[in-house]
Order: sequence, then structure tokens, then C-alpha cells
Amino acid sequence: MRIAVCAPQVPFVRGGAEIMADTLVDELRARDHEAELVTVPFKWYPGTRVLDQAFLWRLLDLTESDGRPIDLVIATKFPSYVVRHPNKRVWVLHQFRQAYELDRTDLGQFSEEPRDRALRRSVHNLDRIALGEAQRLFATSRNVAERIERSAGLAAEVLPHPPQELPYRNDGYGDFVLSVGRLDRAKRNDLLLEAAALDPGLRVVIAGDGPDRERLESLAAERGLNGRAEFPGRVDEAELASLYARCLAVYYAPVDEDFGMVPYEAFLSEKPVLTTTDAGGPLEVVTDGRTGYVTSPDPGELARAAGRLREHPDDARAYGLAGKELAARVTWDRCIQRLLA
Amino acid sequence: MKVAYYSPLPPERSGIADYSAHLLPALRERLDVVVAQRRRRAPKADLALYHVGNNPDAHGWIVDALRKRPGVVVLHDFVLHHLIAGLTIGRRDGHGYLDAMEREGGVVGRLLAHGVLDKRIPPLWESRPEEYHLAGEVLDLATGLVVHSRYVEQRARAAGYEGPIWRIPHPAWEHAPVTAALLEGSPLIGSFGNVNASKRIPQLLEAFARLRRDRPDARLLLVGAVSPGFDLDRRLQRLGLSDQGIVREAYVEEDRLWALMAACDVCVNLRSPTMGETSGSVIRQLSLGKPVVVSDVGWFAELPADVALKVPVDDGETETLYAALELLARDDAVRASMSANALELVRREHDLGRAADLYVAAIEQAAGGEAVANAVLGDVAAAATEVGIEPGSAEASELARRLAEVELGR
Repeated sequence: MRIAVCAPQVPFVRGGAEIMADTLVDELRARDHEAELVTVPFKWYPGTRVLDQAFLWRLLDLTESDGRPIDLVIATKFPSYVVRHPNKRVWVLHQFRQAYELDRTDLGQFSEEPRDRALRRSVHNLDRIALGEAQRLFATSRNVAERIERSAGLAAEVLPHPPQELPYRNDGYGDFVLSVGRLDRAKRNDLLLEAAALDPGLRVVIAGDGPDRERLESLAAERGLNGRAEFPGRVDEAELASLYARCLAVYYAPVDEDFGMVPYEAFLSEKPVLTTTDAGGPLEVVTDGRTGYVTSPDPGELARAAGRLREHPDDARAYGLAGKELAARVTWDRCIQRLLA
Repeated sequence: MKVAYYSPLPPERSGIADYSAHLLPALRERLDVVVAQRRRRAPKADLALYHVGNNPDAHGWIVDALRKRPGVVVLHDFVLHHLIAGLTIGRRDGHGYLDAMEREGGVVGRLLAHGVLDKRIPPLWESRPEEYHLAGEVLDLATGLVVHSRYVEQRARAAGYEGPIWRIPHPAWEHAPVTAALLEGSPLIGSFGNVNASKRIPQLLEAFARLRRDRPDARLLLVGAVSPGFDLDRRLQRLGLSDQGIVREAYVEEDRLWALMAACDVCVNLRSPTMGETSGSVIRQLSLGKPVVVSDVGWFAELPADVALKVPVDDGETETLYAALELLARDDAVRASMSANALELVRREHDLGRAADLYVAAIEQAAGGEAVANAVLGDVAAAATEVGIEPGSAEASELARRLAEVELGR
């Protein structure tokens, strides 16, 4: 089949969603499909730009290319699913989160002015229409599926995707808790730093880059964590695999995250995951006392959970192995079989 | 965002007053709501929400306020003939009534209105309300409409309304556990509301009398005032129901209403003609898990077939009604299934929090939607102009079509 995978791009920014879209194209090609990534830059501010940019997708004609039909489009993240195609399938990684669970939080975008409130509703309406057109609708997690059900009244099939390919391994359970991902406020790395401030035995490594890095580094300095909080920046795949392989546990507690590949990556390295009760998607795979610890979003509780793993590395290993069993079930074979069915 | 809320409220006795008393607390959890009051200055707000029904005593002042400041109208009834008659003839403004009728019915309408004013023909709001709804002025003034049914939405569109319409199901009451009133009857069939011809009481009495021939233990509970001119006693006498079979209660307070409904095995809610109204009584019955029998008209016809038996208003109405009552009297499994389906429908569709959320969405879209639409249109038009796309060209039409597909820029 000729398949167009649609995903937006934010120039100079790369994260899990971009990796997933690239990997999906590779995996489709590996199964003898002609697959191509179709992407359009996305800027969501100021004002109604979020709608203008979403509308660009509507103007694309992906019914054929160079005189040959495109059999199928698979759209991933807002606003790529606004694209039209008679055989549109949507695998929702993200809606426009500022219009949903991030609204009226520090991470929100829309003010209380009538125009901003209406703009947010217009995003909901656009989602309802665009997702409603899909021949099949998938969501990467139950959290995302439930959000779609609540906001658009549409039923989505839950279809988690595998994490990125890395040389996953386990080199033991070291003395640091690892955090991986883009450094923005939503990832809530400040909670991990505050936990480290409360437990002198807790060392943390926060890998990644992003707009929150400076603030986090300042916070680490203010809390006197010199030497116990490292910011290696963006690391290559080999280094990332090595960090996973050597850490004690992986911290992953964004606010009401849609899905997040980090827990699966941790599990493939046989590492437990520390998360919080309000983290959303990760709670679908992180079970307290089984594949990691789930605490309230409180530095003290988080520090105590990390301390327990440090004192009981056998537990860390057992939780990591239990997680690995879960992660092993999520394969590209299964995903593509369901996507194309 | 601040919303000015215009509605009758208790202690006024009206379904819309009850509705607002029920909705307001949930709305206030989500929005800054200021309730407008009769004969007081209009409150300052970002948007005004007007609850409009067909009763001129309850809604006349609200239409007066709407005339001063257009806003979102919650259209509880589509037919507003009685309301408009009250606002015109009731205020000694015969010309206003003539104009309203001419606007909708042309010269024929004006002539008919003359007939009403001269008392040469019966009042049209009683005899031919469906033909002359007189909703035109209210629709003109509405910047958006909230309706409870597809029926009203379709009638508003058919009347030429082009603004946004939001359909919001009537919220159900979260009632405390209800103790059923102690009433005899096997089965006990209830009818709640005014006792008159438009509630199809004559047809109900006839069907019930027939049911009772084979089921002497059956009882019919009639709750509500008898409308002037409706001779209930004579009808009961003629059908042999004077001394037995009928249980009567006039207007009852809310607690007693719930207790009586809870006592019923089946509730009957017939209506013709319909003004497009939603029945708070039916919503209460469904929330108690009661099987209901309704007329196959208006909002009632939109109830799912697995919670309501629908009786067409036609020559076979009494026969169909009898068959429905007989089925429900005979078949416990059907009643149990309808009961479970009713409770599920109320949970799914008529949740108060859901209704309040839908109101907030409607209000937010109404308050700022036009500005958003204009901004998007402006951006798209500017970009199109920059690359030489002329208004009216094929490319411009394509842009307009794509915008319309995703409801942007309108």
C-alpha cells in the first residue's frame, strides 16, 4: 500500500512524537509498504494562529501523488489529523493539550477573555469534526482515549506504540535516578530536584534539553545539589541506552501525560519507574509496588520511594523485570496489523 | 466570563422555573452568573442568556429585555403564539399582533388576526398554534439558540434561523431516595400535568376503560388541575369510571409528585399539538426508571424506542394506546427492560454536570465565537490575497469550502 504518515513539525524541536512518526514510516517500509512522512510546520500562537495553521492541513490533497493514488493516510498529532482523505486513520498521540487538560494551568494558553474561551472551543470543535471523519480512530493510551470520548464523544481504540529502538540492556542498579525528555515545565523535573534536596543520598541525572533547563539548573544550585544533580543535555542513543542501563530507577511524572515512551524504555532496561498519582498515561503501565512506585506529587514521598529502591535493589530489579514483560507485548508487528486492518 | 441569566424562578410555578432552579447551581460552579430580575435594571455581563417559553406571564419581561439587548435564547417551546399574543393583545397592542401574524402568514395571517381581534374566530394560539408559531421576532433577536431537541432545531432552521444552535438535553434531577406513595392499582398508570384535550386525556380515558374490562385491579392516577372547559366528570361517568378505577390529585408539591410517580408502574405522557416543549415530567419519570408511553410527536418522538412506547396521533390513537398499556400491564420483562434502559439513558444523556458543561461551551462560543471566526477568515483572506487569489475565483471558493467543512470562519 501507499501510505502517507502525517505529523506536524515544530522546526528545531524533536521529541517522542517525532521519533514515533519516523519510526512508523520505517516500520511500514520494512513490511513492504510505500510509506512517506508528510509534515507541515506548526505554530500555535499568538491568538487564532493555532486554527490558521491547522487549516493548512485541510488544504492538502493527499488523495494521490504524482498521478498515483495514496491508499491510506495515518495522521498522528494535532493538527495533522485535520487532513482529509477517504481512507483516513488517526492514531492520536496528542490533541492540542493547551485546549484540554492544560487549560487554566500554568501551562495553559487561553485567557479568560471571551475570545480566548471561544478559541479553545473552536479547537474542540475542529477535533470533533476531524477525528469524527476517521475511518478508524486509535489512541496511544487509555488516558488519551478517555479524553477524546469526553470532549468529542468519539470512541477510540487504545493502541500503545513501542518505544524507540535503542540498545537496551541492564548494567545493574546504580545510585542515581534518571529523568529523560524534553525539559519543559509539564515534565515536572522540579519535583525530582526538590526530592533530591530532601534526601542527601539521592542523586539525579536529568537528560534532555528544552526551555525549562535554565530554571531547573538554577533550582538545583539554589537547593545545594551540586554534584548530585547532573544535566548532561541532549544525549545520543548510545549514551541514553547507557544511562538507562546504569540507573537505579527512572523518574517520569509529567502532569496528566498522554502516554510517554519513557516508562517502556525504562522497562526494556529492566528498571522500575517512579511516577505520581496525577501523571495520567504512565499510570496505565506503572503499578505501585509492581512495576515501580506511584506517589502523590510530593517531594517527600518521592524521596522516600527512591530511598526504598536504593535500600532494596532486589525490589528494583523485580519491578523492572515485571515492567519488561509489559513492554515486550507492545510491538510494531501488532501495531501495524491493527492500524492496517 | 459573566453571564446575565433571565428566567422565571420558583416560587413561580412553571416547568422552566423548576428547570432553572435545577440548572443554576451547576452553572454557577462553572461561570460567573448574575440572575436578572423582573422590573430591575439589566445586569452588566459579557453575555445574556434568555429562557423563553410560551407563557406570557412568565416570559413577557424576558422578551422585553431581549429586545433591548440581543443574546442567546434558550428556546423551551418553539411555538410562541400564546407568548406573542400576550405581549401584543394582552398589552392592548392589537396592531402588534396583526403585524406579527402578517409577518408569518402574509395577508391571510393578517386577516385571521383581524378575526381574532374581532372575536369572529377562536384564538389561534388555541386552535391553530402549530400553523402560526410566531417565533420570528425571538429568532431575529437571538444571537444563538439553545434547544433541547432536534425537533426544535429543525423547526428553527425551517423558519430561516441561520445562527448557531446548541442542543443540550434537559438535565435530570438528582433526587433523594423516594418513598413511593401507597396507592392501589395493578397496574397503577400515572398521568401528570394539566387534565385537558391537548394532553390527550379523552383518548387515555377510553384506552384505560378498555384495559380495565379485563384488568379490574388497574388504576389510573390523574395528577394535575383540570383545565377550564374540560368536563372530566362527564367523561368519567360516560366511561363508567366515576366510582372506581381513577385516583385524582390536583396540583401537588414536588415531594408528593416524586412519591406519586414512584408509585406508578407505567407513566403516560401524551401530547398533541406540541409546542416543541420538553417534558420535565418525563425526565423525572425516566430518572425513576419508569416505563413511559408518549405521543409520537416533537421531542417525545426522539426518546429512544427502548425506553418509551410511542403512540402516533392518528385515527388509531386510542387503539395503539390500549395495546401499549396492555403490553406493559402483561409483560413484566418488558417493563423491567424499559426501566433499566431509562436509568441508563438518564445517566448517559441527562446528567446535570454534562448539561452544565454543554451550556458553558455554548456560552463561550456565543460570546467570542464571532471574533474568532472573523480572525481566522481575516488571516486566510489576507494570505490568499498576498498570493493573488481574487474574491469569487475558483481558488477562493475552494478555500471557503474547506473552511466550511471544518466549521471555521463562520
